[in-house]
Amino acid sequence: MNNMLFGLADKQWIWLATIVFASSFLLGSYSALKLKRKTGRPYILGLVTFGWILQTTGLYARGLQYGGCPLANQFELVQFMVWSAIAIYIFVGPAFRVSLLGVFTSGFACLFSILSLIFGHWDSPSREPIFGDSPWIETHAALALFSYGVFGVLALTSAMYLLQSRSLKTKNVVGGLFPFLPSIVELVSINGRLAKMGFVILSVSLAIGYRYFIQNLDSVLTVKLASTIAVWLAYAVVLVLDWKLAITSKKFAWSCIFIFVAALLSLAAVDRNSDNSSHAAAYSESIEQP
Amino acid sequence: MSAEDDKSFIVVSINHEIAPLEVRERYSLDSEKVGKLYSDLHSSDHISESLVLNTCNRFELYTQLSDDATPQEVLEQLAQIYAVSTDEIKDHIHLRSGQDAVQHLIEVSAGLRSQITGEAEIFGQVKAAYAESQTNGYAGKVINRVFQKGFQAAKLIRNSTTVGEGQINIANVAVDLAGKIFGDLKSAAALSLGTGEIGEKTVKALRSRGAENFGIASRSQERANEVAQQWGGTPRLLSELPEYLQEYDIVISSVGAESPIITYDLVKKRIAKRRGRPLFLIDLGLPRNIEKRCGDLDSVFLYNLDDLASIADENLAQRKKAVLESTEIAAQKSKFIWDAILKRKQFEKK
Repeated sequence: MNNMLFGLADKQWIWLATIVFASSFLLGSYSALKLKRKTGRPYILGLVTFGWILQTTGLYARGLQYGGCPLANQFELVQFMVWSAIAIYIFVGPAFRVSLLGVFTSGFACLFSILSLIFGHWDSPSREPIFGDSPWIETHAALALFSYGVFGVLALTSAMYLLQSRSLKTKNVVGGLFPFLPSIVELVSINGRLAKMGFVILSVSLAIGYRYFIQNLDSVLTVKLASTIAVWLAYAVVLVLDWKLAITSKKFAWSCIFIFVAALLSLAAVDRNSDNSSHAAAYSESIEQP
Repeated sequence: MSAEDDKSFIVVSINHEIAPLEVRERYSLDSEKVGKLYSDLHSSDHISESLVLNTCNRFELYTQLSDDATPQEVLEQLAQIYAVSTDEIKDHIHLRSGQDAVQHLIEVSAGLRSQITGEAEIFGQVKAAYAESQTNGYAGKVINRVFQKGFQAAKLIRNSTTVGEGQINIANVAVDLAGKIFGDLKSAAALSLGTGEIGEKTVKALRSRGAENFGIASRSQERANEVAQQWGGTPRLLSELPEYLQEYDIVISSVGAESPIITYDLVKKRIAKRRGRPLFLIDLGLPRNIEKRCGDLDSVFLYNLDDLASIADENLAQRKKAVLESTEIAAQKSKFIWDAILKRKQFEKK
């Protein structure tokens, strides 16, 4: 079931976006590794933004089908997370002035977009919204996925930190990506800011979700609840340890990568809720009645 | 004479590639003699344009000859200035003409022919020489075109190849690494343990890249005061190192000592007080001043003399590799520039 927009189906727009993300990743990597030139931020930013506009068009076409955020299955969850990560790169990334961030983010977007497109069963034909009909529940879900996008970018900058730190430790500092990676101190600062930003967004999302959950304890599957709280708690613990200086920057970076991988796996748990979507829908109806 | 055989644009060069230092010294000119050379050249009927490039490593004279003139006339003018015979001049010079001379200019401007391959200073020197020739009216149509287009080609080489990338002296390699750890060095505090030459060079290199806060430690308070005043910084006593080590981000150690003065235990204790900020230890001492295990600590980056020298060598090797690629660009661009000049000459003759 495809919705057409400007003559193309939603998935065709998303395929085009994926091709643009792949192109910016390949061009940026080739420029840095082979030509040994700085990946000019303007052209990478321009390409990634173009891909993001194509993806937004695809997701918008999807959203038109049932008049809400396209968050109905695992394909859409992954696409929305990728969309969020790219949005963070476009709107917040330039402030970080990190030349390779665009290349890393487009690689990340390309990988997850391809995975979501090739695993056909992620895009279940059911168009039942898994988070119910309430706009607040939709906001809760959209914010949660947006925070995952932030954590995705955090995982990338953490990987950049580990790469840079390893190059400096092993004294492998000639050639490769080393000349293009930002300094250790800048990456530590970026990681800290992204972790706080993602955590605040996730907290707001959970606070909105909690308001509904507390009124109907059956509205959320235990596995989803447990996994979401575990992700939130994990980031909270890492942030507290960092604030108390009880964790090194290297351990902080590794933790951010591990938690993000766990958070991605928890998306499957979120999708499992689709079996329970009727629950959520019924619940939404009940709480919206005076 | 066909256009292709046009040898009217020539360069006479005495440089480090063909002449030893004592010869280059003899052919080096002060500004007064350069002025005289220019006026002698322009009083001659054989030379219509000229440009003198006079640096510590090379003397070069670019000239556009008048019709039917030969390079011999230029050599005679030079022989007069240096008060030697033309045969002696011929023994020490490199003469190129036409497209070869244009290519030579591009290669010199891009730093491909510098003693330190890829150094950038020469580009400014060539530009200054061109400005002088132009201001005094010694540059004409050919020199203007060759130099302006040559500068564009040199910039292209520097921007599109790695010929100027990577530092090749130890102090600058250390400073580059400090930049990769701390980013802006303005906020990084540096401590020099020892007051030797290599420490001084590193402090100077750090200062040139924005570092402002320095500590200079010596075994004697008197020496520390004296050197701190000279280099700029706070004098420190080496024996009190454990008290102030945590205040510094970059530590350059070049002290003559039998055993390490910075131990693993000392760094481990002090790193805890640095609120997660990394520490860059540069061990320039022989025997080594810093215990090797310090580099095992997270957020501590330890480099010794061999590490820095090896990076400098790798950078130099990379630059030399890039010279081949750069020379190809210089050849292509010089052909393009020279062909355009020949076409214009043919057009003007018609």
